[in-house]
Amino acid sequence: MRFILVDRIVSLEPGLRVVATRRVPPDEEFFQDHFPGFPVVPGVLLTEMMGQAAAKALDAERRPRGKAMLAKILSASFRQWVRPGDETLLHAEITANTDSYANAECRAEVNGQGVAQAKLFFSFMPIDSFAAGFRDAVLDDFLARQAR
Amino acid sequence: MGEQEGPLAAAIMNIEQALEWIAEVFEESPGRIVTTTLRKEIPGWDSLGTLSLIAALDERFDIHLSEQDIEGMQGVGDLFEILRRQGALQGA
Repeated sequence: MRFILVDRIVSLEPGLRVVATRRVPPDEEFFQDHFPGFPVVPGVLLTEMMGQAAAKALDAERRPRGKAMLAKILSASFRQWVRPGDETLLHAEITANTDSYANAECRAEVNGQGVAQAKLFFSFMPIDSFAAGFRDAVLDDFLARQAR
Repeated sequence: MGEQEGPLAAAIMNIEQALEWIAEVFEESPGRIVTTTLRKEIPGWDSLGTLSLIAALDERFDIHLSEQDIEGMQGVGDLFEILRRQGALQGA
């Protein structure tokens, strides 16, 4: 399984908020174990989806501080099961945004119903820490479309 | 001088409250941290802990630490000194 957990950005205001989507394919191997006969998307993956979405709102600012990295889960709750193939809508509001840290309040929905929420804390990693040529294709493609 | 008013007034802590708050910031058990505890004695006071402290001071007290403040803090006593200087801590 690759670890790109945002398929598409629906809307984004750099440094402020983002709405994105993720559909977990029914053939993901982990569904065999989580759980046999009752496959559901793990809460840790829902948290990571919300974190990746929020990070895109921060990274879209292109500030010199570097890439947003999930550093702490301040709170998280999972209210409904997310089943294989469900399209999850990921909302993130950036509630603090400084050169050294950021906070985001996030929620996930399926068919208009809240399935999870989380408050997340981010630090930043300098871009030159990553492989040369590293890029966030989902974010870059969205920004390129917006620029047209 | 009259009592302090405004947003900070509600946030002023006494020593006991401050120790509980510091324990929460560094994810330590309440009661494990005392006024003389050193930074090196608090496992959670690592780089993430420092960042959490910066965020907590900013969000709760509107206190912005300087690089000098951050580098100079060797323990709870130094942190208390900053809180006192900024009017967020009362008591001996």
